[in-house]
Amino acid sequence: MHVPPWFWFALVTLLSWGVAGLLQKLSTNHISAESSLIWLVVGFLLLEPFFYPGKSVFAYSAANLTWALLSGVLNALGAWALFAALKSGGKASIVAPVTALYPLVVIALVPFVLKESITTLQVAGVICSLIAIVLLSA
Amino acid sequence: MALKDTLKARWFWYSNLCVLCWGGWALLSRLGSREISPQTMQFLFTIGTLPVGLALLMARKFKMEPSPRGITYALLNGVLAGIGGLALFAAYHTGSNTAMVTVATALYPMITVVLAVVILRERFRLVQVLGLGFAVAAIVIFSL
Repeated sequence: MHVPPWFWFALVTLLSWGVAGLLQKLSTNHISAESSLIWLVVGFLLLEPFFYPGKSVFAYSAANLTWALLSGVLNALGAWALFAALKSGGKASIVAPVTALYPLVVIALVPFVLKESITTLQVAGVICSLIAIVLLSA
Repeated sequence: MALKDTLKARWFWYSNLCVLCWGGWALLSRLGSREISPQTMQFLFTIGTLPVGLALLMARKFKMEPSPRGITYALLNGVLAGIGGLALFAAYHTGSNTAMVTVATALYPMITVVLAVVILRERFRLVQVLGLGFAVAAIVIFSL
């Protein structure tokens, strides 16, 4: 059986974010959601020395560097919007599953942005995942 | 709640904003990862999160709750989220299918749900068990 290489990386993401989700639950028992986000960014910063690219960063195209920086802005902005939704009276049981559906935006935009094809079996996997995401975060 | 009321509610629009931002984050991560190495992606991503973190800090007038436990959990949350982000960028960097990588990594609540039961002694709810079933099915399909 040949497991595709991306699968192992995705598994690491799944595990680390899964544990991170629990830590987030625990942290918001003690501090506010905003403080939790601020300390999360500090946690990101702790890792920066290990990933410091030096001058090699200038070898990349300006467009791709912009996407990388903007991805960070949007991620943090999304987290803030989630807190704002909960604070302005949104029920967690509705807001959480709705916001977890962000892959739908990606699925909708991919055909226009990237030329990628997907097999029928993979489509089945994507549908199973979307159902799972809604049920798990409900 | 009636549709009309929902459309008027602020939380509804904030939720939509969140979905759009996170969708944009995932798509831009994929675009940047075509060329940029996972380590450099994570480095730049973190710089991108700084303005939002700083804005929140200023909005709170630099007042933070002095809770050592809360801060420790949140810091560890950041470290693990960063490691997960690095692996996500690596997955995108392999040039694999964007939709598959995005939905597969969005399944992380399955781990949180299991850990909450094991560590926090929460109880499984029926919807969560169903969700776990679909998540496992998806992961098996993706590994083929």
